[in-house]
Amino acid sequence: MDPLTLLRGVLDTAEDAARALVGRERIRLAVTGLSRAGKTVFLTSLIANLLAAGKGARTLPALSDAAGGRIRRVFVVPAGTETVPRFDPDAHLGALAADPPRWPERTEDFSTLSIAFDVERRTSLGGLLPDRQVTLDLIDYPGEWLLDLPMLRQGYAAWSAETTARLRHGVRADAAADFLAFVDGLPADAPAEDALAKRGYTLYRDALRVCRDTHGLRFLQPGRFLNPGPRGEAPLLWFFPLPEGAKGGLADLCARRYAAYLEDQRATFLDPYFSRFHRQVVLVDVLGALHAGEAAFTDTADALSAVASIISGANWLERLLGAAPTRVAFAATKADHVPARARDALAALVEHISFGARGRAEQSGAAVSCHAVAAIRCTEDAVARLEGQAVAAVRGVLLQDGRGATIYPGEVPMKPPEPAFWEAGLFSMPEFRPPRLDPAGASGMPHLGLDELLAWLVGDLL
Amino acid sequence: MTTAQGPGPAPRIILDEATTPAPRLDFGWEKAVAAVAPPGGRGWSTPALLGAGAAVLVLGLSLLEAGNFVAAQFDRAAWLGWLTLAVAAGGFGLVFTAIWREARGYLALRSVDRARAAHARGDVATLRAELEAWQARLPPSRARAEGLADMPADAVCALVEAKALVPIAQDAAALGRAAAVQAFAVTAVSPSPGLDALVFVWRGIRLVRQVAALHGFRPGIAGTVSLLRRVALDAAMVAATDVAVDAMVRGVLSSRIVEHVAGEAAAGAVAARRMILLARATDEACRVLPRR
Ligand SMILES: Nc1nc2c(ncn2[C@@H]2O[C@H](COP(=O)(O)OP(=O)(O)O)[C@@H](O)[C@H]2O)c(=O)[nH]1
Ligand SMILES: [Mg+2]
Repeated sequence: MDPLTLLRGVLDTAEDAARALVGRERIRLAVTGLSRAGKTVFLTSLIANLLAAGKGARTLPALSDAAGGRIRRVFVVPAGTETVPRFDPDAHLGALAADPPRWPERTEDFSTLSIAFDVERRTSLGGLLPDRQVTLDLIDYPGEWLLDLPMLRQGYAAWSAETTARLRHGVRADAAADFLAFVDGLPADAPAEDALAKRGYTLYRDALRVCRDTHGLRFLQPGRFLNPGPRGEAPLLWFFPLPEGAKGGLADLCARRYAAYLEDQRATFLDPYFSRFHRQVVLVDVLGALHAGEAAFTDTADALSAVASIISGANWLERLLGAAPTRVAFAATKADHVPARARDALAALVEHISFGARGRAEQSGAAVSCHAVAAIRCTEDAVARLEGQAVAAVRGVLLQDGRGATIYPGEVPMKPPEPAFWEAGLFSMPEFRPPRLDPAGASGMPHLGLDELLAWLVGDLL
Repeated sequence: MTTAQGPGPAPRIILDEATTPAPRLDFGWEKAVAAVAPPGGRGWSTPALLGAGAAVLVLGLSLLEAGNFVAAQFDRAAWLGWLTLAVAAGGFGLVFTAIWREARGYLALRSVDRARAAHARGDVATLRAELEAWQARLPPSRARAEGLADMPADAVCALVEAKALVPIAQDAAALGRAAAVQAFAVTAVSPSPGLDALVFVWRGIRLVRQVAALHGFRPGIAGTVSLLRRVALDAAMVAATDVAVDAMVRGVLSSRIVEHVAGEAAAGAVAARRMILLARATDEACRVLPRR
């Protein structure tokens, strides 16, 4: 840890202590999740339901009970002079409630929002003291960028070797055939030619896109190749992994751009937003990974574990400074895609897929728990008849044409499936229309298990 | 739960027969989570029941008595009967007018609770109606927020706050300062501490009623008692949160009077502080919207 980071850690810790003393705590909640895990929807539902709960609605009963009914008011902290865009829950809610409804667009940039709770004090003496105010800091960002975190601890050579090795395996090899042919065709001492760099970049980026969109893979680096963000593509991005032994001008150029890329990501994204958290929730679309096949399933697990090693893994000093989250919740999202009786299995499965990630969090002394949640419940339980036998299924309204449909999501295994399981073939869960919602959000939105998750995650701080 | 024999049925989508769009699901969520209404009418306390019973007895029996007496007078002579009736009607008329005024003053205070409850529930329609009604009762010289009808709730609250509540709070503070100076002066000139206390109580009650009047309330006796109860609840909070009070006391005490009677400063400062606090607490208790 360099001295500057240490100094900042000490200052932050002092600030936390001072805030706790005057009853103005600030909780930084990390909502981590790979792309399409459901972060944006989760934040939208979280905010809508918290605001409604602050007005007395029983949208989050478990959280209200965990806080002993002492939550007096919940409000969005008014904007200051932030340079970062503001997360807009009203716009997202409006789009979900509209007819026809729209899910949030793919997240392209950061946005932040703070929610404050006025909480009555616990002690009876409290009547004389003003209420405590607890602020919850939330951020939304493209999930792809999260995979840049593990790169921070790797040099270009190591990253290249690891990435090309991975690329030559399984479904990746097909998707990246063009790219692999290109790099294999390059002489080991290729010159620093921008035309080559750009060509390699384009082929590599296209391979990543196919891996993500067709094969449901998630361990795809660097993040800005897939989601360039508001600044678009810059020459900074024109690099790609080269096979071992490459050491010409091109390799140097790629290595320099790799370092510059990481420096840029660190300065604009990782250091300001990902260096200090009090609580963390890791959202995982387990069912999506399960339906996308064995490769996607193990890839998601690897990606989670790599990210967790940076965010939740902390050394003793960071722990001492309170820079590491003390509670980490792993949540399977979109739990409404399976019938009620399969939700426990979903929570059990998230425990397995996040095995590596949980290990990291536990090692650094955090309490860990697993949940299954649906930020917005879009289905109801139903029974389907398949091959003469009745099976538990869900019923919802499809997003595209608004037709009703009953979906049998298949068996949800409670542990990593055996090889025979994958023979059932791939499946792609359709998108559903959200249920009827009040666009003003006066009563939040229907969810499954969000309150228990929050109660465990922040209930003790209220 | 996968079995070793092989996978179960594969996942699949079974489309409904109907090709027309299905209605969106409705879980009845709004009703399921609706805020539980606060326990209504807490019932009457024993003293209140006693008081009401006594009032009914006194009023009812004296009405009957008067009726009997009027009837008896009519038996004696018609003119005597008419005269007695006029006297009785006039007397009871005044009594009932007083009761009516008391009740109105008392009930007007309830509108504060209704408006705040509507605000807390996020019930925009009721809130707007309550705010309109409240503004209509304000003294004519007060500025009012116009055109609330087609504004979102946040904007309605912000506008009413800025247009009406903030100036009222400033006037309330001015009243508090005036009362503080007077209270301070009284300690300087009064011959006995007992008399001081009496003057303070009287001045305090007058101050509470003055501030209530700023908010458009004209509480009678019952209204004033209920108002004082509310003020007592809010006072602790105001005292705890408000450092501004101290600054204001210092501001008041540096005035000319203080320089002349510096010897009495200790008792006077306490009294002055209380007046300023009382004005703020009353303002707090009478606000139709919770302070932001
Ligand atoms: N049925 C259902 N679908 C969800 C839920 N949350 C997310 N989704 C789906 O997952 C997609 C991706 O969610 P989003 O929040 O944009 O993911 P992000 O990339 O992590 O921000 C959405 O477009 C929805 O179709 C949920 O709670 N229930
Ligand atoms: Mg998103």
